[in-house]
Amino acid sequence: MKRTIGVRGLASAALVVSTIGMFSSSVLDSASASASVSPKASSSTLVIGTVNSVQKIDPDVVTNFLDFEALGLIYNTLVQENASLKIVPDLATSWTFSNGNKRLTLQLRQGVKFDDGSTMTSADVVASLNRAQATKTADPSASFIGSVTKVAASGANAVVLTMSHADVSVLEGLATVNLGIMPAAAISAGTIATKPDGTGPFEFSKLVPTTSFTMKANPNYWGGKVSLSTVELKTIPTEQSISSALQAGTIQMALLSQPTVVSTIPQSFLVQHAMDLSYRALQLQDKVGILANVNARRAIACATNRNQILQDSVFGNGKVVGPVPLGPYATNPVSAICPTQNLAQARKYLKASGHASGFTFTAITSTDLDSTSAAQAIAMQSELARVGIKMNIQNLAGNAYIQDWLKGKFQAAFALNGADPSPYVMYGRYFGKGAGLAVPAGYSSKSLQQELLAGDVNSTPAGQTAAWKKLNNDLTGNAVWIWLFDSYDFAVLSSHVHGFTLSPINTTQLSSLANTTLK
Amino acid sequence: MNVFLSIARRILSILVTLFGASVIVFIILRVLPGNAVSAAMGTSEGLLTRAQIAALDRYYGVGQPAVQQYFSWLHATLTGNLGVSLTYRESVSTLIGSTLPVTLELAFFSMVLGLFIGVGFGMWSALHPGRWQDNLGQAVSVVGLAVPGFILAQVLSVYMADKFHYFPSSLNFVGFFTNPWLNFQQIIFPALVLSLGIGAAILRTTRGAVLEVKSLNFARTALGKGVSRSAYIWRHLFLNSLTAVVTMSGIQLGYLIGGTVFVEQIFVLPGMGRQMITAITDRDYPVLQSVTLVFAAGFVIVNMLVDLTYSLVDPRTRKR
Repeated sequence: MKRTIGVRGLASAALVVSTIGMFSSSVLDSASASASVSPKASSSTLVIGTVNSVQKIDPDVVTNFLDFEALGLIYNTLVQENASLKIVPDLATSWTFSNGNKRLTLQLRQGVKFDDGSTMTSADVVASLNRAQATKTADPSASFIGSVTKVAASGANAVVLTMSHADVSVLEGLATVNLGIMPAAAISAGTIATKPDGTGPFEFSKLVPTTSFTMKANPNYWGGKVSLSTVELKTIPTEQSISSALQAGTIQMALLSQPTVVSTIPQSFLVQHAMDLSYRALQLQDKVGILANVNARRAIACATNRNQILQDSVFGNGKVVGPVPLGPYATNPVSAICPTQNLAQARKYLKASGHASGFTFTAITSTDLDSTSAAQAIAMQSELARVGIKMNIQNLAGNAYIQDWLKGKFQAAFALNGADPSPYVMYGRYFGKGAGLAVPAGYSSKSLQQELLAGDVNSTPAGQTAAWKKLNNDLTGNAVWIWLFDSYDFAVLSSHVHGFTLSPINTTQLSSLANTTLK
Repeated sequence: MNVFLSIARRILSILVTLFGASVIVFIILRVLPGNAVSAAMGTSEGLLTRAQIAALDRYYGVGQPAVQQYFSWLHATLTGNLGVSLTYRESVSTLIGSTLPVTLELAFFSMVLGLFIGVGFGMWSALHPGRWQDNLGQAVSVVGLAVPGFILAQVLSVYMADKFHYFPSSLNFVGFFTNPWLNFQQIIFPALVLSLGIGAAILRTTRGAVLEVKSLNFARTALGKGVSRSAYIWRHLFLNSLTAVVTMSGIQLGYLIGGTVFVEQIFVLPGMGRQMITAITDRDYPVLQSVTLVFAAGFVIVNMLVDLTYSLVDPRTRKR
């Protein structure tokens, strides 16, 4: 009798567990009813694997790269940067500066339709830029048009931006997805945060949090017919799993950043790489302690072997760079004092600093934010030790690093910072007058502010080149920070994918999907 | 009456445990540096004006005192409202509703496989002590305990993809009733990885318990009286070893909760473990608190079921 109860008990327990399993599956059905069940995507559906996931769908508030990529396919901006990082038309077909570069007039493209079917007019552009500038929107790129005091329509097909001072860099600022153009009606209705509505080659279809972001072709796209009917950005949490998914054929394209994983991809796949529009640097707090001594900083700059750091951290998949990594004003040579490691010069600077036998400082890293930062730090640590400079390394969790970085609570910080073809856009936020990131920048000087301003107000190419060269020399000559390298981003394509080219601009790397086909 | 009192006491104990877990999680999250704004904006937060940061603080509810935040969340939770994800602006109930079934199914299959491996090999080993069957069982348990699950998961997924171009769990996840065969293929490999660790522990426990029961007088007597081999194995040995097996299985179910986190990452399963990792990174407090509460509730309920199972499998544990 007792045994019978025991067996019944087991049977009951098994029944309960089975019921839970069945229940869970039935609940799941409703959640995933629309999910693909086909092992291979349809011929015009491109599935792209990435470790990140799209989080926000309001272009004015996005900050992570994949959000930019996704929304950059849905929204257009007034101007854009081409592969050579030059400003070219997007929704604005032409523009002119006037009134001593204090006024910018943009002529708008005609016949452009939003996803909701309405036609874009100057009223939409005015509403979009006003929304970006509104405090409650908290647009992180609002500062790019911080000099703009008024945005006004000039007829149905032109807008005029009035600036408080001469500011030609405002044009580069307008190229960010954070300043994408959206319908005034959707802004009024407050639907932008939940239902993207742009003029780009793709329309928003579905966001499954932490899992996927799906877009379909925009039939009214002003740029011509889009071949791909659907693009899905699929979140695969590890790059190794992305590689496996590629080989299994469940995705046709992948965005990767780890060279170790890329090296394992079979040769049947096409690997593209492009310089990422960003840079790695050792940011220094130059106002206190030993690093307030310019010669101590210069000693670090000269003792640093950038090529070794590049090799150790990303296996050489990148390029040693100075403050401006890419574009027409790219820094060359990468340092005004020591373009390559020069230990003798480093020792001279140490002597001049009054610390001939070396000194000690601490650098923070965060492998959460940049998986290569610890490798960079270790490589640099061993090189600096050759001249007696002892660098302690403190690795922090991502959020802890961000908090300390924002408050300037560090002596040195290995940082992965976003770049821009315009040096003013890149460094105005750190070293300009009233800069938002002046605290983490850790350095300020009137000469830097003047150089930034000179480059910003100068609208001739020759004048800008001269101004930005001066800025580069000032930054590296004083070893304000130690600029290290720029790494590659990788796109891996299956043999079915044609017409895609990875763009160097890391917020619009996927822009050529508008012209991509699957065969 | 005693039964009702006992049940009431258990429920009260569960509630106190869950309350304690929610308080601890809440405190830990607040002690960690950063908040939802810094997690969302990263270093770009420095580019915002004070007015913009204040607007974001209001949006994310960051400015509220911690105690107020906790009791707002607790009150809402008790009324069935788990809040809205700070990152995705979607109801937490909806988010958990889409991930919980995946994790439950994974746990279910892992447990079934783990029991199959553990009890099967454990019994086999114990019935052939010192012989090759026992050695094989011991080897399985050593491998299961020694090889970290995340390595096994990675190796398995890479091998299948490389050699057979097969990685079904990287497809969009489908429910059992939508496509049972694809669902099975998506779940079976991650479940297998988890089950090996679980099975190894159960295997050792089963072997030890059965060997112990085998040495007891009643077992030898039963064998001497000529009971059939199957009755000897299942009625006398297995049933009398079951308490230890149930205890270890309950503990391993707790282990499963942690295990699902890495397995879901590597096998691309959209479950709660993955959701929890994302919520930690994003400082998505409503999601994280609710996910943790669900995990804690699962653990407590499993423990309660284990306790109840004792009284079913071992009459000596029943209260008079």
